[in-house]
Amino acid sequence: MIRDGRRLVDAASVTLEAACITTLSGPSGCGKSTLLRAIATLAPLSSGELLLEGRRACDVGFEAYRRRVAYVPQTPRMFEGSVADNVRIGPAFCEVSLADADVHDLLSRVGLEPALAAREARTLSGGEQLRVALARALANRPQVLLIDEPTASLDPAAAIVVLDALVALAKQGTALLAVTHVEAHAHRLGGSVFRMKAGILGGRPLPS
Amino acid sequence: MTYLSLPLWRVAMAGCLVLVAMALSRFARLGLERELGVGAIRAAAQLLAIGYALRLLLANDRPVAVCAVLMLMWSVAAYTSTSRIRVGPPRAELFPCSFAAIGVGAGAALLPVLAFVLVPNSWFDARYIIPIGGMMLSSAMNVVAQVFERLFASAATDEATLEQALALGASGKQALAPYVRSALRGALIPTINGLVTVGLVSLPGMMTGQIVSGAAPEQAVRYQIVIMYQLVAVAAVSGAVAAWFARRLLFTNETQIRTWQRRTRDVT
Repeated sequence: MIRDGRRLVDAASVTLEAACITTLSGPSGCGKSTLLRAIATLAPLSSGELLLEGRRACDVGFEAYRRRVAYVPQTPRMFEGSVADNVRIGPAFCEVSLADADVHDLLSRVGLEPALAAREARTLSGGEQLRVALARALANRPQVLLIDEPTASLDPAAAIVVLDALVALAKQGTALLAVTHVEAHAHRLGGSVFRMKAGILGGRPLPS
Repeated sequence: MTYLSLPLWRVAMAGCLVLVAMALSRFARLGLERELGVGAIRAAAQLLAIGYALRLLLANDRPVAVCAVLMLMWSVAAYTSTSRIRVGPPRAELFPCSFAAIGVGAGAALLPVLAFVLVPNSWFDARYIIPIGGMMLSSAMNVVAQVFERLFASAATDEATLEQALALGASGKQALAPYVRSALRGALIPTINGLVTVGLVSLPGMMTGQIVSGAAPEQAVRYQIVIMYQLVAVAAVSGAVAAWFARRLLFTNETQIRTWQRRTRDVT
């Protein structure tokens, strides 16, 4: 990936298997988030391609691809409206409406009280917003979940809840790629660990 | 009926009113004296020029000349509408979109009225098509500029939110929908305000001009009613077309958000 003449990520090849967890670590600015955005088709690739079950992203269709390959950024933004409105928005883009029970279930899975559903999403704390963003991404029932620093804005107890929710998700079959710079969190997630340095991805995953 | 003939020296006297504004600007340190002076001189020069051009057009019934004047007005409107946009595509890319949006909006309001309401003897009768066409082009210019400015600015400041919508599987149209709604509402509200206050607060220029120059007031207001309805159509159509173009310009074929450098300010 090249932007403004600067090589951001080079020669990165990642295969994400169903029900497997992969974590990506490395120093700040080494291209981890850029790689995640590229896999989510949100950042342009200068070369190379993205395959989902052997099909190119452009053949799957970018909108369909993004529903199947969910992406949660480090600082998620809430849309206008309640927490429930936010959780419902992904399915609503393809004319599917989620029942209240489904919204409550998604909130519970990320460690949020279902009673929070009626709250104005933009009034929540950073940690709560991150968990709403995760629930919002899960509402599309993705096959792959890309998540950038899932514990950055969480207190230690909430971080454990989110990490365990991610592990449970992977056990149900979702392929998970998480960026984290906290060694202990990478260990809790388990799976393979890739290390990145200056835009270059470590050739072979290291066992965690 | 006759009207009071206005010699140029008296028009120049009216220019003192601009001097009042310039003095106030200097007193309040607004720094707008130069803009006010240049604006006043430009307005006078442009209006005098179009006055003589209209005189020539009315004297010689030449459809080609009428078309040429309309085309010039249309091009200047498109150019001007792109000049205040601080963040957005390069002007070369924006100009054709602006030109089309203004043309579709003004055309949608002008052509049916010429065909079914005013029904002049000739479609290229400069007496009707130039002043009314000018009003439509000017209104479309303002709406298009406003819609472009709002959408590109919102996309720049809210890029992360837009990207989240795309990440959740939204199409470009779906992701931009709240911003388009807000921009179109913003563009239509002045026109709606105009509709509800006309005759109570404002007596529009064309109507007062007709009355001053001796037209029957009841005829002048009928023209004004038609113009007001046309302006509603112009705002809605040119705004919607501008929003359509903005969406195409904002997203790549891969539905990724395009970003641009902030432009240095240029004034037309």
